[in-house]
Amino acid sequence: MRNVIAAIVLSSIPLALASAAEPLRLPIVVPITGPLALEGASQRNGALLAIEEGAGGLELATEEIDTAASAEAALTALARALSRPNVLAVAATIFGPQMLAMMPVAEQARVPLITVSGTARLTELGHHFVFRFFPADPVVKLAQARYVVEDAKRSRVALLYQTTAYGQSGRDALGEAFRKLGASIVHEEGLALGVKDMAPALAKAKSAGADVLVLQLHSGPTALAVKQAAAMKLGLPIVAGSAMHQPSTAALLEPAELAGVCAESGSAPATGGTPELERFAAAYRKRFGSEPDGFAAAQYDGMRMAIAALAKGARTPDAVREYLAGQSHQGAAMSYRSDGKGNMAHDAVIVCYDGQSRTPRLAKRYANPPGAR
Amino acid sequence: MDAGSVLQLGFNALSLGCAYALVALGFVLVINAVGAVNFAHGDLVMAGGFLAVAAAQIWPAPGILILPALLVIMAAMGVVLGAVAYLPLAKRPPSAVFVSTIAVGIMLQNGANALFGAAPRAGPALVVPGHWTGAGAAFDRQSLAVIVVSLILAGAFRFVLTRTQLGRSLRAVAADAEMARALGIDARLHILGAFAAAAALAGAAGLLLSQRYFVTPTEGTGLMLKAYIAVVIGGWGRWGGAVLGALFVAAFEVLVAAWLAQPLAEALLCAAVLAVLFVRPQGVFGETHGRRA
Repeated sequence: MRNVIAAIVLSSIPLALASAAEPLRLPIVVPITGPLALEGASQRNGALLAIEEGAGGLELATEEIDTAASAEAALTALARALSRPNVLAVAATIFGPQMLAMMPVAEQARVPLITVSGTARLTELGHHFVFRFFPADPVVKLAQARYVVEDAKRSRVALLYQTTAYGQSGRDALGEAFRKLGASIVHEEGLALGVKDMAPALAKAKSAGADVLVLQLHSGPTALAVKQAAAMKLGLPIVAGSAMHQPSTAALLEPAELAGVCAESGSAPATGGTPELERFAAAYRKRFGSEPDGFAAAQYDGMRMAIAALAKGARTPDAVREYLAGQSHQGAAMSYRSDGKGNMAHDAVIVCYDGQSRTPRLAKRYANPPGAR
Repeated sequence: MDAGSVLQLGFNALSLGCAYALVALGFVLVINAVGAVNFAHGDLVMAGGFLAVAAAQIWPAPGILILPALLVIMAAMGVVLGAVAYLPLAKRPPSAVFVSTIAVGIMLQNGANALFGAAPRAGPALVVPGHWTGAGAAFDRQSLAVIVVSLILAGAFRFVLTRTQLGRSLRAVAADAEMARALGIDARLHILGAFAAAAALAGAAGLLLSQRYFVTPTEGTGLMLKAYIAVVIGGWGRWGGAVLGALFVAAFEVLVAAWLAQPLAEALLCAAVLAVLFVRPQGVFGETHGRRA
């Protein structure tokens, strides 16, 4: 079925490249519904803000197409996007399995995909049209592990991870990082997305003698684990994955429940830190009436880099790809440059909550963590 | 693991199981009334959770005060569901009702996503926050309130079914709709009443679960599956079986997961369901009418 859809996609491409008088199109092909809708909405908002800011007199156009929850739906959405004329780059889904399905089609169509998906494999498969603007697992997970060992001075780790591609990819990267740093994982447990009660896993973590709880969970489960750890008075510091830096996750918890909780991310726009990031956060709040997260900032930066390519005269997808692959870009969250595989982001931050508010403070910035590239 | 931890986990399991029991009771009610599975039932639980979130924004009161209004709104939603997704297809095979309720469930999911967004949301606290400690465990007031409210609702449900004319009529329709019609009972009205009561129970469960476990637009499918498993274990169409099945599911989720690991507990629960299907396909308490959908 996927091959049939791919064939339909490819048959539509000559039509897509037909006209030069059309506006320059940057479609947004992300999950607006389904389990990744929260992250997809951040992507969509970031991309939309970047496109709406425009570039001088260039006529830009976009459309939002929902990839929902399956690879087949993502391919259909990409087909629709590529059927339009003058598509120069695509803001592409955060969902790793959907990206894996879309990449061969984009490669043959020679249209760059700009994504914030963290799945490590995306840039290990030799594709030349994938550009990732959120730091991959080897970057952020190393930063997470380094913060646990070097700053929090903890060495007996309890690791709870989601039994999804996201969770397992992060688990592998964390396991390797902790091994390198000399910390031991005394308890490790995979949790399905539907798990309601985290108390069993938390109780086992405590019984195993852990001195820190490390989470690699999606947004809702992260909040559940933090809430229930507070209710049980677990007494362990928590260093969570990027889901915990999202304002929508913190909104589920009382400030007191967040005391002693830290999280990794590519950036933390709600926290600020640089004038560029604060300007982006202010524009985002004004446009969407909500707090931005690191995914929104990364997608914004990716699209702004593509628009910079257009401003410098790129008028074909190949020219945009050449720009993305060869130039550096100072974005709102960080400075970006390809490592030759399409990994554009190489910095990570750790933010921590003080128990007084739901806005975390910047605890540590890791610029190009050694060993991550 | 010390005794305090075990007591804590047992308390958590009881609280979760009580909320699941309300879900399972509503699920059984529709099965008994129409002989088909309402695949939108989990999404009704989700809808109840989001209604509680919305109600708390308008009127920031404890959930226990919001509950009566929520029951009424959810009952109305159940009537609409029955009128749209069941009655027009009543003469068709049960598979038609499966498809129509699945479609309604997807609409509810996408509607919640459009109205509230994809992010998890926390419902209102049922009672004033706090907890009591003792025997090495912390007994959270919310969890205690979930147990008490579930017992009251399940008791009221049982009273209506067994001690009132309405309940007798409902059971008559469930047992043999044609015969009930011949005796002058308006079967259509009673079927809509069953959908209303089932949706009200689902909505109550949604409210009870939303504060401690949050609510997302896509969680209905998982809850539906848990209700299905509870009913298969307890006996297709059995009220008491559904309650015990729900407690069994929660015990696996909490106690067996604490003993082994969550994925293993899930696998063992599925194995237990298969064992029931092989050894005693009518469920632990037997089927009411021998018409598994």
